[in-house]
Amino acid sequence: MGAYIKGIGIVSPQKTFNTKTFLTETVEHTTNSLRCIEPYYPEFINPVLARRMSRTIKMGIAAAMVSLRDAKVEMPDAIITGTALGCWEDTEKFLVAMIENSEQLLTPTAFMQSTHNTVSSQIALLLKCMNYNFTYVNKGFSFESAVLDAMMMLGDSDAKNILVGAHDEMTEKYFNITKRVGFWKEEAVATSEVLRSTTNGSVSGEGAAFFVLGKEKGEDDYAQLRSLKMIFEPENEHQVEEKINELLSENGLTCADIDVVVYGKSGDVRYDKIYSHLEDTLFKNSASVSFKPLCGEYQTSSSFALWEAAMMLKTQTIPTAIQVNKQPKSEMKNVLIYNHFMNTYHTAFLLSQC
Amino acid sequence: MEALIEQLKQEIIAQLNLDGLKTEDINPDTPLFGDGLGLDSIDALELIVLLDKNYGLKILNPADGKKIFQSVRSMAEFISENKK
Repeated sequence: MGAYIKGIGIVSPQKTFNTKTFLTETVEHTTNSLRCIEPYYPEFINPVLARRMSRTIKMGIAAAMVSLRDAKVEMPDAIITGTALGCWEDTEKFLVAMIENSEQLLTPTAFMQSTHNTVSSQIALLLKCMNYNFTYVNKGFSFESAVLDAMMMLGDSDAKNILVGAHDEMTEKYFNITKRVGFWKEEAVATSEVLRSTTNGSVSGEGAAFFVLGKEKGEDDYAQLRSLKMIFEPENEHQVEEKINELLSENGLTCADIDVVVYGKSGDVRYDKIYSHLEDTLFKNSASVSFKPLCGEYQTSSSFALWEAAMMLKTQTIPTAIQVNKQPKSEMKNVLIYNHFMNTYHTAFLLSQC
Repeated sequence: MEALIEQLKQEIIAQLNLDGLKTEDINPDTPLFGDGLGLDSIDALELIVLLDKNYGLKILNPADGKKIFQSVRSMAEFISENKK
């Protein structure tokens, strides 16, 4: 199993939409809820169609179109999407209308666009793509499940190029509800200060990222995505170590072979301990980088980390904004992503230089 | 009638998310569907809900829909003739 990353498109709270640059300039936000910097949509979506689309739909479609252009793939053999919240803004709109109008006078648009597979299906409609189309809605494992499906499909079928991605949006209502259960920080924090925060909760985030994963190696590939593991509610740090060692040994590697680890540190003092533990034990000789100060915390944030890891391997650079400690001694060959959402959904991705 | 047409234009723009359009861009006699404003069947459903929600009017005979939704003016005429 394994796949080559051939194209990337990403909309995030940073200026990431142009895949030719890699965090040469970072946007310093001071907030407890990051919002995406959106591209100019008419370039990707007919304005007549766009008028019915909410933010997350437009972000998802734009990211998907850019990744296909980047990979020079016109028709993917499958479209697989992961989302925890789906098209939340439209879901809220529809539910509020149901309450306000006593379940009468419901308009079709918000209902149609509120389903979780809207982005995946809109991409298929725009491309006129009749191939396999699936959306995983598995909370903090949504993106991982989509990637796993794509990798298995590339390994077991005739599919050559698969469009796989994730999207999740933050709305005011969802932010306020989840803030009450302790997800987010009470105070605004500057992007560059997130990892020094000493309070509970993280800075919420959002984003859409799409990747074209291919079966065959090409000249312009970003990186090879070798494998991934999901660990649901690990009992302790040893279980995490065991799974990481398992992932590495299955791919003929040891911890010493990992040049850089991308950690999902979010500045939440309750849940960042596992990252520090791994930094001090398994990966004390590897460079550490972060990603959540830039994109915030959300269930499919691993997609931002995958973009970051792929860009690091392709450009062989680590931008200052994501450096946590030392730099790799030589060229970057292997990168591990370790991330979790609310200490429940733990995931590890292994990538190698092409 | 002109005040109602103006109000209806605003409501249509808001209900159908016609971003970028201003009330003065919509000619009250231009067809709403097809070559005119270019609305489609989903918009027709939105307009039916708009009439019901904002004016308490239901279209009981579906065959009347074509005439009522011919233009903004025809919608305004239907409202002013039927609104209690």
